[in-house]
Amino acid sequence: MSSKPIATSRSATGVPTGRLAVWWVLASEVVIFGGLLASYVIHRMGHPEWHAAAAVTNTWIGAFNTFVLLSSSFTAVLAHQAAEHGDGKGAARYLMFTILGALIFVCVKAFEWTTEISHGYTITSNGFWQFYYTAAGLHALHVIAGAIIMGFVARDAAKGRELHRVELIGIYWHFVDVVWIFLFPLLYIAK
Amino acid sequence: MADSHHPNYKKIYFTLLALLVVSVAGPFLGIGWVTLLTAFGIALVKADLVVQNFMHLKWEKRIVKYILGASVALMVLFYGAVAPDVQKHEGRNWTNDAAAAAVARGIPGSHAEVAHEEAAPAAAPEGHAADSAAPPAAPAAPAGFDAAGAYATTCATCHGPAGGGDGPAAAALNPKPANFSDPAFWSSRSEAELHKAIREGGASVGRSATMPAWGSIYDDAKATALVAHLRTFRK
Ligand code: HEC
Repeated sequence: MSSKPIATSRSATGVPTGRLAVWWVLASEVVIFGGLLASYVIHRMGHPEWHAAAAVTNTWIGAFNTFVLLSSSFTAVLAHQAAEHGDGKGAARYLMFTILGALIFVCVKAFEWTTEISHGYTITSNGFWQFYYTAAGLHALHVIAGAIIMGFVARDAAKGRELHRVELIGIYWHFVDVVWIFLFPLLYIAK
Repeated sequence: MADSHHPNYKKIYFTLLALLVVSVAGPFLGIGWVTLLTAFGIALVKADLVVQNFMHLKWEKRIVKYILGASVALMVLFYGAVAPDVQKHEGRNWTNDAAAAAVARGIPGSHAEVAHEEAAPAAAPEGHAADSAAPPAAPAAPAGFDAAGAYATTCATCHGPAGGGDGPAAAALNPKPANFSDPAFWSSRSEAELHKAIREGGASVGRSATMPAWGSIYDDAKATALVAHLRTFRK
């Protein structure tokens, strides 16, 4: 890392600049998702009738996708571990597993939404479905964006380059996982 | 990435999966508070495991915890400041009639039915309202319609909890709603007139338009059930 430009090695806080930047991104994401989920909770508590709509969501699909995301987080952290041992190829391989997880997640989501929409539950059906599609949709966009960036990071890592980025994309990925950890009970369990 | 800390990731991963199973199993017990606990209590535990161990926040410099903590605090502040106005549908000097009406109306077209029949999903909700021209042939009160509950949420703010025309919002109304407990009221109105007033609004029977039209929420049968409920106020 000694030949790196200052921006990646300088660190007044003791946290590497790149990682600090990721934390700042996540701090703003906390407010974005937090605000959305808090609004959902507020409306849900004021609208007991949403119960009828929430009962329609498929807990098994939600649980399966939770499993997929938890597993992809697991492989992401293994990639980080490999990267710290200087094993770029191993890191890249684990990242590919994580990307695979993202693909499965998105496919399941597409299937789930198609079914729901074809049954007449659309984003305009009522307040519950508005939140359902907005929150899960915003989350899915994060999954897709993360998978794309991870592809670039994995490509470099396989050549032994920019290994510190494996940790950075991992931190972001775990955050996406954490958001889903809260979305799952909110949309699929607490009926 | 100076300091490398690597806890036993496999153990954490399997703990997370076990917790997932518990959160899915929780609702099967059918006990409300257990479901809440297994849903949200476990979500917190899972999130903590991921954040501390996978994101390595446990070993991160304190400034990062402050940054994230500030964000979480802002979110809590947002909830605390907004919830009292939005979550509740009435306060000391205001009521949120639209929200209360949405609660009383329930999920339009009862999607549950639609899902079972799988037929013409979009058309169902408006179906009943269209044939309002037919005279109220005293349709039976629909099963499951709670007229007293609907009255309490959508009418009582103006008409008063006991129909006295003295609800919290009535002070600002001119003319005031009639007193449903007064026998004289019942001898001077016909059933059809009251029914029409509810479905089509005060103006439709030559009264004040501040009495809203409820036809989009209460179909014939429900309006009939409401009139029957109003009659119970009579002294
Ligand atoms: C925004 C306040 C408000 C709400 C909410 C409201 N009403 Fe009224 N209602 C009035 C007022 C004011 C009148 C009297 C109009 C007049 O006399 O000119 C009235 C009149 C009526 C009448 C006709 C009484 C008469 O004098 O012939 C009926 C029946 C009635 N309301 C039923 C209901 C029912 C049932 C609900 C709930 C679904 C309801 N109202 C909700 C304000 C309200």
